[in-house]
Amino acid sequence: MKVLIVPPNSLILFDLVERFGHEPLSVMAALQERIENREIESPPMNITVDVVKKGLKYAAIEIPSGIRGRLAIYGPLIDAAEAAVIMEDAPFMFGCVGCARTNEMMKLLIHKRKIPVIKLDYPNNEDEAKAMVAKLKAFLEGLKK
Amino acid sequence: MIPENETRYIVLAPDSEFTPGQIARTIHAMNFDVIVKETCFGVVVMGKREEVRRLVTEIRKIDPNRIYTKVRGFPVGDPRRCRAHKGSRPGFAQLEKEWKDLVLIEKGLQCMDRGEPVPEIKKREKVPVKELQKICREG
Amino acid sequence: MIKIAQLSCGTDYSAVQTEIEKAAEAVGAKMVYPDVDMEKINSAVERFGFNPVSPQLKLMIARAYSLAEKRYDADAVFISTCFRCAEAALVRTELRKFIQNNTKLPVVTYSFTERTKAGQLLTRMEALVTIVERKELLARERQVGLTMGIDSGSSTTKAMVLRDNKIIGKAWTPTADIFSSAETVVKEALEQAGYKLTDMEAIGTTGYGRFTLGKRYNAKLVQEELTTNSKGAVWLADRQKGEATIIDIGGMDNKAITVRDGIPDNFTMGGICAGASGRFMEMTAKRLRVEITELGALADKGDHTKVPMNSYCSIFGIQDLVTSLAAGSTIEDVAAAACHSVAEQIYEQQLQEIDVRLPVIQVGGTSLISGLVTAMEHTLGTRPIVPPNSQYIGAAGAALLSSGFLEGR
Repeated sequence: MKVLIVPPNSLILFDLVERFGHEPLSVMAALQERIENREIESPPMNITVDVVKKGLKYAAIEIPSGIRGRLAIYGPLIDAAEAAVIMEDAPFMFGCVGCARTNEMMKLLIHKRKIPVIKLDYPNNEDEAKAMVAKLKAFLEGLKK
Repeated sequence: MIPENETRYIVLAPDSEFTPGQIARTIHAMNFDVIVKETCFGVVVMGKREEVRRLVTEIRKIDPNRIYTKVRGFPVGDPRRCRAHKGSRPGFAQLEKEWKDLVLIEKGLQCMDRGEPVPEIKKREKVPVKELQKICREG
Repeated sequence: MIKIAQLSCGTDYSAVQTEIEKAAEAVGAKMVYPDVDMEKINSAVERFGFNPVSPQLKLMIARAYSLAEKRYDADAVFISTCFRCAEAALVRTELRKFIQNNTKLPVVTYSFTERTKAGQLLTRMEALVTIVERKELLARERQVGLTMGIDSGSSTTKAMVLRDNKIIGKAWTPTADIFSSAETVVKEALEQAGYKLTDMEAIGTTGYGRFTLGKRYNAKLVQEELTTNSKGAVWLADRQKGEATIIDIGGMDNKAITVRDGIPDNFTMGGICAGASGRFMEMTAKRLRVEITELGALADKGDHTKVPMNSYCSIFGIQDLVTSLAAGSTIEDVAAAACHSVAEQIYEQQLQEIDVRLPVIQVGGTSLISGLVTAMEHTLGTRPIVPPNSQYIGAAGAALLSSGFLEGR
């Protein structure tokens, strides 16, 4: 199943989703397509004004451009997702996921899709990590049934 | 169009007994048709998607709970993301943090492997106002 | 290569990172990102005292500490965030103050939209580079030899000829096409001076048309108007020592520059809306059916409080003005209100981005509108100095600085 990870660039979530037998939908993979397109010349990530405009599908013009640009990339991932894993309180989310408002908006858009979603707490110690991994594993195995 | 190439971080947990150099040599020895570059966290590999995924499956087997992986948006050595060229890009700090916490994830995976009971985590709740009032009065 | 440290949020996703880098490259600089250790981010945010929700803003703070504590080397700082993001605007402003208080690096801030292009950033980037690269040149206090400065502005074109630190010729004309406007003023200034173009030992160009005219006149100095104007201002006002703030309300955009011993150390440049520009003064004069040269004296006789005008937009501003006239307001009161409205916007926009240091020197063509100087005085609580020939700052600065290229002098 296509499982969207939030934060969409998380190493931990990407790895665990794949490890437990699903296809993680991540922002890196979404960006790879743009980055490797040599016809666009807008480094570093080849995000152009047209991409930012596509963000209007998710947020109106009065919303800062950075939010619209991010949503233009995340939106299609959300649309394609069959399930989602959301890690709450991830301690640091930079770059792609550096804008807190966009991240909240992303959760709302996932919520509206009415797909299976699991919310996890970022682990701060071994016990929490054990609980987190177990909860995620159970969710991902459940998706296969 | 989905590009047929894929670039991957192969990340070694901080307590891994392997060095990035060893992993790179192992990949070479396995004769995968990919480009391999060592980094501080492990290696970055780039090649045809199927080849990279086959490599990921194989390399994980070496040390399943201490080898992690995710896709990378930029190809190996892309000047747009080169740290030496312009200083670190934002995503670097996140990777650093997640890398450090892989020791915790490893414990979680071990717990699953061994079928140990999963600890119950109680969320810290805020003290109800009534309770707080009581504490204040007593204090 | 000049290294400009970029502290930003949202640039990659707003399609402006390329534009930022293009602008930097055009002026011989490159953008760099100060390295930070993960552990330092929390402590930097803690010490800074503002804990933004967005992690990228936390990273900006940590990067600023990296610069302040000299863990990362850069020559100048560019702080930039999305237009309309409140959290980012707070961080941007406070980080600007932090950088100014804790480093000697020149800094400029900018809030962008996806429409921001390299051209809009160019003057700011160029000024950062000039301040870093041309410190010695900017320290020049006396003009030597026989030189000319040409200031090709958006509203007017000016030329000035200097010899041995004295003005011997000057002229201005409204800007039509760049070449013919420049030709007109150059010819007139040279006639006054009694010299030919070929007699000039050095020529400097500044303003919007600086590159084009720089080529045409084979200029030794082609420099943006921020640093050139501030140099011209302190020279004309004879305030080369100590501190000062220069306010230049231009035809299209406004500049506020702080200087120490004649060398600019910080600046802000605004220009999203014409409501706070010289252009609005022109529109007002036209609507009141008076010459722009008469507007100031009219305004001095009026009372701005009698006319409600609180629009940030020149179009709505003129609407306010028309409504007031229709309601029976005098043209004196309306003129005063228009001046006050511009002064207020300069105060609320530009002057919040720098730390105003006294004296304030008001320059540019708009400084000849006495009502606008009075309005600035009311807003600032101090009377700005308006030096003689205040509309010629760019031309004077260009002539003065270009003499720095004359060998052995």
